[in-house]
Amino acid sequence: MRAFMFPPNLRQTLARTGSAIALTAGAILSTVSPTAAAEGDTLLFLAEDVPSGLDIDGPSIAIPTTQLGMVQLLEPLIAYEYFDEPNEDGVLMPDFTKPVGRLLESWDYDPETLVWTLHLRKGVLSCAGNEFTADDMMYTYARALNVGSAVPNAWFLLNMSGVKGFTQEVFSPDEDVAKEARILGDGIRKIDDYTIEVEQVEANPLLLVNMAVTISQGVLDSKVMEENATEDDPWAYDYANNVNLPSFGPYCLESWTKNDEIRFKANPNYYRGVAPIETAIIKKVPQGGNRISILRSGQAQLIQGMTPNQYDSLRKMPGIKVSGVTGNEGLFGVMNFATPPFDNIKLRQAIAYAMPYERIINVGYSGQAKQWESVIPETYPGYTPYEPGYSYDPEKAKELLAEAGYPNGEGLEEFAEQFKLTYVAEKETTLGPVVNQIRTALNEIGIPVTLDPIPQTQYGDRQIVKKDLAFGLNDQEKPIGVDAGYAMQLFFVSAEAGGLNNMMNYKNPELDEQWSVARVEGDMDKREEILSDMQTTLMEDVAWLPIVTFKTQWAHSDKLSGLSWNPSNSLLLYDLHY
Amino acid sequence: MSLLDTSPAGAAPLPRKERRTASALLIFAIIFAGGSLILACFGEMIVPFDPVDSAFIPNMPPPPLRDWPGLLWVAITSTSPEPIHWFGTDSSGFDVFSRVLCAPRIDLTIALAANFLAMLIGIPFGLVAGYFTNPATEFMMRVSDVIQSFPVFISAMILVALGGQSAINVIMALSLLYAPIYVRLTRSEAMAQKSRGMVEASRAIGQSELRIALQHVLPNSIGPSLVQSSVTIGFAILLTAGLSFVGAGVRPPDPEWGLMISTGANDIVLGQWWTSVFPGVAISLTVFSFAVIGDALQRRYDR
Amino acid sequence: MIRRFVLKRLLTGALQMLGLTLAVFFLVRMLPADPVSRLVGLNASPEAYKQAQRSLGLDEPVMTQLLNYLGIGSDSGLLQGDLDVSWVTNAPVLAEIGASLPITLELLTYSFAVTLLFAVPVGVASAANPGKAVDKFVFFYGLFGGSQPEFWWGLLFVLIFFANLGIAPAPLGMISPLLQAPPRVTGFYTLDALIAGDFRAFFDILHHLMLPVLTMVFVLSGPVIKMVRQSMIRAQASDFVLYANAAGLRRKTVTRYAMRAAIAPTITLVGILYGVMLGGAVLVESVFSLGGIGQYAVRSVLAFDYPSIQGIVLVITAISLLIYLLLDILYAIIDPRVVYT
Repeated sequence: MRAFMFPPNLRQTLARTGSAIALTAGAILSTVSPTAAAEGDTLLFLAEDVPSGLDIDGPSIAIPTTQLGMVQLLEPLIAYEYFDEPNEDGVLMPDFTKPVGRLLESWDYDPETLVWTLHLRKGVLSCAGNEFTADDMMYTYARALNVGSAVPNAWFLLNMSGVKGFTQEVFSPDEDVAKEARILGDGIRKIDDYTIEVEQVEANPLLLVNMAVTISQGVLDSKVMEENATEDDPWAYDYANNVNLPSFGPYCLESWTKNDEIRFKANPNYYRGVAPIETAIIKKVPQGGNRISILRSGQAQLIQGMTPNQYDSLRKMPGIKVSGVTGNEGLFGVMNFATPPFDNIKLRQAIAYAMPYERIINVGYSGQAKQWESVIPETYPGYTPYEPGYSYDPEKAKELLAEAGYPNGEGLEEFAEQFKLTYVAEKETTLGPVVNQIRTALNEIGIPVTLDPIPQTQYGDRQIVKKDLAFGLNDQEKPIGVDAGYAMQLFFVSAEAGGLNNMMNYKNPELDEQWSVARVEGDMDKREEILSDMQTTLMEDVAWLPIVTFKTQWAHSDKLSGLSWNPSNSLLLYDLHY
Repeated sequence: MSLLDTSPAGAAPLPRKERRTASALLIFAIIFAGGSLILACFGEMIVPFDPVDSAFIPNMPPPPLRDWPGLLWVAITSTSPEPIHWFGTDSSGFDVFSRVLCAPRIDLTIALAANFLAMLIGIPFGLVAGYFTNPATEFMMRVSDVIQSFPVFISAMILVALGGQSAINVIMALSLLYAPIYVRLTRSEAMAQKSRGMVEASRAIGQSELRIALQHVLPNSIGPSLVQSSVTIGFAILLTAGLSFVGAGVRPPDPEWGLMISTGANDIVLGQWWTSVFPGVAISLTVFSFAVIGDALQRRYDR
Repeated sequence: MIRRFVLKRLLTGALQMLGLTLAVFFLVRMLPADPVSRLVGLNASPEAYKQAQRSLGLDEPVMTQLLNYLGIGSDSGLLQGDLDVSWVTNAPVLAEIGASLPITLELLTYSFAVTLLFAVPVGVASAANPGKAVDKFVFFYGLFGGSQPEFWWGLLFVLIFFANLGIAPAPLGMISPLLQAPPRVTGFYTLDALIAGDFRAFFDILHHLMLPVLTMVFVLSGPVIKMVRQSMIRAQASDFVLYANAAGLRRKTVTRYAMRAAIAPTITLVGILYGVMLGGAVLVESVFSLGGIGQYAVRSVLAFDYPSIQGIVLVITAISLLIYLLLDILYAIIDPRVVYT
């Protein structure tokens, strides 16, 4: 039994984190009482989970709480300037038209040669005290191209941006071809310690957008990574997955216990100045009600992952503030074109007119949402609301239903299986009230909807791999690249034309054609016009059924301010202060 | 909690004074359990609202207790009474009262069906294993042991996940996990019966082994299982609710107590206690009733 | 003789574990989806799925996967004491169990200790005073406590003792997040705090364990108290007590004799309950976010994390079997007839 409980590898990890804790434990315990610490330079942030891994190509990259940990440690190449005025809740909002250099001082682009010259910022120090140089970037790119970890996300964004050398061949079943393709060629070149050139195979404006995606294009501290590489694991995947993510970001990892808590300490070397909050702790508290209790007791200062209804109650409580952003989160219906009767456009439109938008907003979101009128997030450049738009109109829905060949829903009984409205069971507390409104409204006009919550894992499998979800409801897909084109390539373009996650098997040759033009269109005005047309087509076909776009919210002590929003929806703790 | 019931100690006879308490409790239990059975059959016809109609204002508190007599009076006397949400409404706009009363349809059905299936599987196996001792039955017992050594709650979660969340799958999972209890009980009883004179006598007059097993051994070995079932039903209700609580049981919006507690749990601290307190009281009293009845049966059987 | 008995039991146990391993292995592979899509998310390409599938070994035939898992023909597997790596966290399952199991054990140990401290005297008192108030209470509570939804009571206790009265700490796990957990030696928080000589952490941990233990004791006391009472009554009615009474021994002495006889079935019940609660404490763990093995199990099942599920079931079962074995040995020592039948 002893072997079971105290395995050698466990002992090692424990020794590592244990000694770190031991060093700081005495200091904290002797000087600060819990409440005093809360007032000062410490932040206790309660979330549904803590990062399961920190590798940017690791197996848990798609999980929001993992990303929340990563964005504190990683420093992006590019970010967006904030608008001068915060939004109505006091949250700083990025201006996506104004990219600003972070690890990059500046960049030039030569449309003739398709070469981007990146000028690196000097004097940036990592948590370990190493200076940021071109070697760190080259290491990060080479590691991305190696695609050796579970999820080749970094490669994926570079491939999507048309960077030379980042081809599908890295996955070739032919070992030799794959091995060859995984070596960083001349697509990315180090000119000197502070200059790098990136060459594209075609004009593709997505590169700039994608460079701003911190969670997959953040730069690693190559020295620390190499120190922790082993013979079996030359790219230190295990280290990044289980121990640390060494980078140049505003915070450094102090300790990390998976399934429990992660502690950050402000990076003393951070080039934009040391973070105002010195110690930040993200603690896993799975029960939403418990998170509220603890926030109210004053022991925690910040919580996330509550239901809109709970935020609404919290808003009215003394000492607590709720801040939110209508950013890029939306609720939409998925109806599968490959599954009758959803191949019937009239039926799709009937459902669009039968959605009780107002009631969903009021019951499901306590008013903190509005109808979503396109298939891309409202805050993204190029967003075009659909005219005339869908509204809750049961009479019109009935007419369309009759036109579709199912007057009063007659004939739909045989599709009971297809009308199971599927959603993620883990989101029951949020989506429960919404799906019940939808079910009631659709039943009223004769559409026999029933509910089918399934585990997240299974939902993902059916949506992405099997693509056999007939009728689904989804509130968690947001394009991480801030671009209307990126979003539409991701979700609507057919697989043959380079589409990636066309979960509803939508195939429209016209749309594919438009995208093939827009993708390489250098003239941004022309590009935007095409993208706008594409949105209208998608809305007419009800390719998705966008329902509402809702606020991403946090509840926090009213002493805490400085909240800012970014497209990852992970709060940047650096911006916070008391 | 479900292994508790594999070790029912022979209940000791009660002293006279206590018998009175016991019988008062038993009457309460029978009324309550009987009531929940009636609700399981007719709940949906009695309740004021459709338990899955989300058309009401969400998060409405129940009327204060001091208003209840007046409201009740109006509800009884008035010809067209204004419907009242006695237990308030939940975050989806469901009527909590109607849902609490309709839940036995799911909770009790699952518990009864799972228990019945488990007996259906367990008793024949136990009979065969107890009456005929050979390598095959020995192997059967080992299989039963393996099943019984599974951690119950976790296994139930896995089994439900296999087929997807639904009442049927919860029934299947529970019956599989509870069957070994009946295998063991029946087996040990059958082994005891085997050596009794009646069996020897039947053999002497040339009855077939199968006939002896069915005619003489089975009726005499089934008793402990029947006594056990009342306790197991209670635990099945708890397990069903527990599974729903962690999101691995029946699927919403079915009115089910565990599910209701789970959806209401997060709002308790916001002062919305009614969505989870009422279903909790319902489970608590229902399972308690079955335990009391089981205890009484046990006492009678042992006498 | 006893050695042979133990050996035989160990052998049966090993066979049982093998059966269990196979059963779980194939069971999880019947789950309706594999976790690849969850790992990869939507912002990725089809190649990513294939890559993820390869990295999990899911592209291999099932029998190869089984052999790999068992460690036959490969150098790390079950036979080598390796439980594989979690697909969600990429950490060794053994390490994750090593972190979560002690928490559950700690919760259970304290809960059972308190339960016994409460249940034994009350049960004995009840048996000694038939028909009195304490006996009525025991009769009622024995049935009531054992039939309660513990998660619901946990929620109520949080509401009452934390939110309303403010005498319990927030349900935030084992220790206040603003305190540093004591350096890990045994994995048991209270022990580690004592080893480190950190009394502030020690009392904070006890404070945090207060409500979870209360919840557990609330439900566990029912069956235990009932068992103590019944065993006492039976012992008091037995011949040796009759004889002791007839011989004119003092009442106190007789009670002590009876208690000794009554303790064996109680210990058995507690042992069995302990085994059951390893996986059954999950609801209390999740109400108080303790991060025990039950919560780890819920997380793994919902994420379809095959290696974790397999590991958890194996470890919990192994421990339960071990407890049963110990109980049997204990019995065999007390009553040698067991060995021969």
